[in-house]
Amino acid sequence: MPPHNPEIPKLTEHLFRHEAGKLVSALTGIFGIRRLQLAEDVVQEAMIRALQVWPYYGVPDNPAAWLMQTAKRRALDMLRREKLFQEKQPEISASLERLPDDADGPLFEEEIRDDRLRLIFTCCHPLISQEDQTALALKTLCGFGIPEIASAFLTSEAAIAKRLTRAKQRIQDQGIPFEIPAGNELESRLDGVLHVLYLLFNEGYKASNGESLVREDLCHEAIRLGSLLAAHPAGNLPKTHALLAVMLLDAARIPAREDDEGNILRLKDQDRTRWDRRLIGAGMMHLARASVGTDLSEYHLQAGIAACHCTAPDYADTDWPRILAHYDRWVEISASPIVALNRAVAVANVHGPKAGMDAIKAIAKPEQLETYYLFHAVIGDLEERLDRRMEAAARFSKAMELTGVASERSFLEERQRACETNTPFRAGKHKGPSRTA
Amino acid sequence: MNNYNNPNGYLLLFRGTDWHKELSPEEIQRIMGEWGSWFDRLEREGKLAAANPLENEGVTISGKARAVADGPFAESKEAVGGFFLLTVETMEEALAIGKECPALPYGLTVEVRPVAPACPVGRMLKDVEATALA
Repeated sequence: MPPHNPEIPKLTEHLFRHEAGKLVSALTGIFGIRRLQLAEDVVQEAMIRALQVWPYYGVPDNPAAWLMQTAKRRALDMLRREKLFQEKQPEISASLERLPDDADGPLFEEEIRDDRLRLIFTCCHPLISQEDQTALALKTLCGFGIPEIASAFLTSEAAIAKRLTRAKQRIQDQGIPFEIPAGNELESRLDGVLHVLYLLFNEGYKASNGESLVREDLCHEAIRLGSLLAAHPAGNLPKTHALLAVMLLDAARIPAREDDEGNILRLKDQDRTRWDRRLIGAGMMHLARASVGTDLSEYHLQAGIAACHCTAPDYADTDWPRILAHYDRWVEISASPIVALNRAVAVANVHGPKAGMDAIKAIAKPEQLETYYLFHAVIGDLEERLDRRMEAAARFSKAMELTGVASERSFLEERQRACETNTPFRAGKHKGPSRTA
Repeated sequence: MNNYNNPNGYLLLFRGTDWHKELSPEEIQRIMGEWGSWFDRLEREGKLAAANPLENEGVTISGKARAVADGPFAESKEAVGGFFLLTVETMEEALAIGKECPALPYGLTVEVRPVAPACPVGRMLKDVEATALA
């Protein structure tokens, strides 16, 4: 029996997933984007090799370097044995040999920094549909498996597999390049990338039922990719920092969003000591870096609002006038009725529920909100504050019909009942769904 | 199934070299960790006499002509991917350990085989003894 190391070093959480993303980028840089699948296969084989031998021989001292070397060796073997890239084989072998052995070291990070960014820009190319972009990014950049992506997007594995095939086909057919765009193109392409990260984050941030773990991972992956972007000269722009600030400041509040039974807690009912101070600090730092220059994106305004919440000692002492000022500017540059709805909430908090109702009535295209459960929940809340309890109850029940999330539904049901029976609503005491359901 | 004491121990053969193909990096890391802890615990308890993974390649030799054929066993349900030689002395205990294998839910199979004693007479004597005592 081989000598066994009894002191198994504990692997960093998500190490494999994170290394998978890095290694796929580095190998795609060498094989070319048309061989993305080959890069993915080689990395998968290196991971499986670890699964086959580490339990017997122990975890190596530098697991990331081990994975790197194994992937490299496997790629070289394949080149020789399967006669891939015949005309360019010596070149490709030489590039593989040049990859640094320490995949966790600063040298490697430096080397593949550009490749990772290239892959981000490839995955978020406008010729690929947005839903395919998010699936492809999760698969190749973040090392997610198909079942994991499916559960994050609450869809079937077959649907995700289809999206991935379609996206890869698109890369082939359209000859989508593996490069960081330059010049005028960079700005608009960067907007596309930021938008995909924003979608990823929101997908994870949305309240869900029973899948909270995977979905929270989406938030952290979006933050990781955003940080990569912000640290690269091509992505280091105020709006990138603004988006990062939004994501960090929102993510900081995730631990307080639900009580121990999995019930949703409103902002005003949250235990603010559970907010993640480290993420808030990082968010404020990026907000400061977003504030250089004259660029004012929607992310800036959203980050400004999140910062007001994160720095307020409690709900009542929140700087609502400042939040409202951010919303006022936001509705100027955004036609989204959802932004207008959120502004109405801020209006109500500054000028009272009557003014909030007026702001809702003034929304330009309210019909777009009719099927949005929060539209009815917000009106219900205002009706309740105006002491029109039956109207409020009707709105809560309409909102209940429109949400598919069980914990949201039970929250609304409780509020509806409180209105009907004329009892005060007690936060966090309603019966929520069980986490395992 | 004989449950006689077998001082030669039991062999666990892990069959299947294709079950991990579709796993995600996160799952691989998790199963790897579980398998590692399982291994370490058995080793600490002194229940492992030998254990190794096997490469997915090799050759098979057969027939009078001693024909050697390449045996690319890659990705098959039957190929042995590794083994544990356990020091435990009963089938019951070997089975219990085999059932703990963390890859079972993913399609790997565990074959549990008593290691035969060097002298079959010894075993026969034991069987006679057991029958006599029963």
